[in-house]
Amino acid sequence: MRRSLLGGIPSDLVVTDVTPDFQERVPRIRELGLFDRVLEARVRELNRTYGLAKEKELTEGFWRAESHLRFCLSQELEDYSAVYFSNFDIFTRMLACRYAEEACEFICYEDGFSTYVIDYLRQDRALVNRHPQGSLLAGKVKEVLLYEPRLAMRGDKLPNRPLPKISPEDRKLVELLNYIFDYKSPRQEARFLFLEQSFRAEGIATNDLELMGICRDAVGQENFLVKPHPRNPENLPWKLGLSRRYESRVPWELLLLNEGARGITLLTVCSNAALTGRLVFGLDMNTVMLYRLFQGKVLWKEDPVLQRYLRKFQSQFAGEHYYVPRTIYELERILDYLGGKHE
Amino acid sequence: MSEIKVSVIIPVYQVEAYLERAVDSALAQTLEEKEIILVDDGSPDGSPEICDRYARQYPQLIRVIHKENEGLGLARNAGAQAARGEYLAFLDSDDTVEPQMYQEMYEKAREGDYDIVMCDVNILYVEEDRSVISVSYPREEIDPGDYIARGNNITYSVNKLFKRAIWQENRYQRMLFEDIALIPALVSRYPHMGYVKKPFYNYYRRSNTISTSQVGAMVDIVKAYREFLEECSPDFREEAVYCAARQILWNMTDSRRLFQADFVDFLQEYKRYFLMNPYLKKDKKTGKLLDFLDREVIPDTFICVHILREIPQGYRDSLREHFPQSRLLEAGEEILKTLPLPPSVQEAVERGNFSYAEEYAALYLLKQEGGLVVFPEYRVKLPLKALRMNRVFFGFEDQESVSAGCFGALREHYVIQALLDTYWEKNIFNQALLPLGERIRDFLMVHFGLQANGRNQLLQKEVQVYLPSILSYDMQDGENCCSYAGYPVPRGYQLVSDGALRLWSERLMENWNLYKRERDSRGPAGKQSLQEPVSGGSLREQQIEERARQVAELYESSTCWKITRPLRALGKWLGR
Repeated sequence: MRRSLLGGIPSDLVVTDVTPDFQERVPRIRELGLFDRVLEARVRELNRTYGLAKEKELTEGFWRAESHLRFCLSQELEDYSAVYFSNFDIFTRMLACRYAEEACEFICYEDGFSTYVIDYLRQDRALVNRHPQGSLLAGKVKEVLLYEPRLAMRGDKLPNRPLPKISPEDRKLVELLNYIFDYKSPRQEARFLFLEQSFRAEGIATNDLELMGICRDAVGQENFLVKPHPRNPENLPWKLGLSRRYESRVPWELLLLNEGARGITLLTVCSNAALTGRLVFGLDMNTVMLYRLFQGKVLWKEDPVLQRYLRKFQSQFAGEHYYVPRTIYELERILDYLGGKHE
Repeated sequence: MSEIKVSVIIPVYQVEAYLERAVDSALAQTLEEKEIILVDDGSPDGSPEICDRYARQYPQLIRVIHKENEGLGLARNAGAQAARGEYLAFLDSDDTVEPQMYQEMYEKAREGDYDIVMCDVNILYVEEDRSVISVSYPREEIDPGDYIARGNNITYSVNKLFKRAIWQENRYQRMLFEDIALIPALVSRYPHMGYVKKPFYNYYRRSNTISTSQVGAMVDIVKAYREFLEECSPDFREEAVYCAARQILWNMTDSRRLFQADFVDFLQEYKRYFLMNPYLKKDKKTGKLLDFLDREVIPDTFICVHILREIPQGYRDSLREHFPQSRLLEAGEEILKTLPLPPSVQEAVERGNFSYAEEYAALYLLKQEGGLVVFPEYRVKLPLKALRMNRVFFGFEDQESVSAGCFGALREHYVIQALLDTYWEKNIFNQALLPLGERIRDFLMVHFGLQANGRNQLLQKEVQVYLPSILSYDMQDGENCCSYAGYPVPRGYQLVSDGALRLWSERLMENWNLYKRERDSRGPAGKQSLQEPVSGGSLREQQIEERARQVAELYESSTCWKITRPLRALGKWLGR
């Protein structure tokens, strides 16, 4: 985004602690001089305090918004013409309060399938959307940037604009990112990589561990690896012996940019990371989506929309190597087939 | 010898144990002017020698015809052709007749110059040691229309005396149930009938006879009713249809349920007769037969696709034995030139995976024609007939696998069409050329909620899925409809997959545990065995009371009695 949409425009970057470890990247980002300033924001505590707060608490929180922002940010904010954000959390809403009276647009950019399917600002979705200050963000958002705007089905009125896709051939960008994330080619090889999702972090009871076990049994322990979700509190698949310990800490997308598909089969319940290869980089890699075998809710309120999203992806965007098994037997056969056991 | 009044024709086939009794009962007839014709129908046992001995012993009375085996009807025809008597009677070689039978029936025939005279039948249930008299008609005066519609014993040949002239124009056919095919129609065409209201004919009913056992050739019964309706006099058509309806309903719901689908085909063929029949409109009980007219049944067609291989002789033999009148729709490799082939089938053919192509072609033909798909490695059995009453059916091979060796469906059934559609979709079944059984199982799981547990399931009141013992393995006597015969195994053995064996063992254990639980839950009353009766003398009153109390206790503590208690209370209350 910095090099495409914001090319030549003075910009600050705010790195939050929503994803642990990201703030470790700040020194290198600063070193590269890509942004005028790189600010750090400790927003996890703020979001935890007010994420499910009652009206009175919210009112008190927004009343103290300036103090909160000053307290959690490493430097003072300046005046901006636009704020690009991917998270509709309390921090972003406080930013919206701060710039409410100014000519500052808020532009949402893609952060996984939720950006395609969830209308985060719908009034009946959360109390904060009905709160006078909490709902100010709704009036400030101008548009949503998506890698594939045709897949959007949130049901809001916000226009969807294309986010420039990334070419794996853009080596300069890849090198920049490699430096920021201190990328090293992984020592672990696994032909079947299961992308865990943040169900446990969100307290959702599911059968994802059972599905991992089935996949592991079908392809063999030596070929199987689970990439834990960074937001989950512990690496349970490893602890339960379902997988070797996943060592790399770099984002999945960067791994893809560097290593390509290279005979890897991705397995996941419905992680958008598994679709990124197709949506962002145009790759057609073996992908097995397990959502039809999944028991439990993925999203509390938007599961049917997510189903439609995944169906639309399958019918209109998926490549030849995209599989959605409907039974465990079908899954086993697909894995046989992709694992080379099939003749 | 004076002019022969009655010729008694006794067809003989494998009856050495009973033949003498039958012949002796014919010889003991009070009617002197008789002849007895023993027709040895190529019997392989000692019966022919017995016949010859009788012929030597009674040369004036008994003649023997030896002929090659052609069945009961043609043996009777041979006897009728050789007969010289004014009237003919048929006696089955394992039955007997009362001494006055032919005398009194002949006299009745002469009295009214009747074409046919009949009597009642004494049915002796041999194994049960009891007998029942089957009265042919309530009154001695016969009203032919009423008799055809409501009378008894109309299909029997043996309780009747026929003018010999009748047999110059009529013959039994070579089939089972030749009586049904001919006799009621004769009664309608020769309605001038007399009746001796006495049970002269002793019909010995045993198990393992044509009346009580089931073999594939018995599908002739349907042909027999067709003959009856085709050959009956138009003057009595309505009565004949009603007569047939009564008997068919009994056959369909009681004695020959296995042939239900064949009867449904027949009913639909003669729909016009049954729907417009005035007797059936008035008789609600027999009118239930009309409900079957709306039933769709799987066509009596076997579909076998065999690409670059022959159908084994054993396959054809089993089909001929159990389904002699079925249509075999077989298709070799040429079928591939006539069907729209999905890419995966083309690929399979190019790679020499012909079983994949066979499965697709079989499914395609099943959709077009309806019927029963049976692959060359499988052997059918008679009980498969009953499965024609389904709309679409499959069977488990073990706990989790569904067999594609034998399955069936109505013509143009949507499940089969939907399965065919999957060949044109992008899915793993087409990519990996997976066997049809897996496609069927997963399709049923996804769309019909099939549980992969190897158990019987009726899915959404439409799709029947059977246990492995029904369509894959012969695990229990009388249950199996079709089984795998792809590998030669010694006679008396059954090749079973370990998965099926495990499932079967589990099922047996479950039943055993259920039995134990039931037994234990009955408590002390259930556990106590009743006292043995006092041997060598009658029980004292006190003992009788004690035993009655024990029986009552056992009853009271049974689960069935407890469960039905509210119903009984309700019944009692309603009764008041």
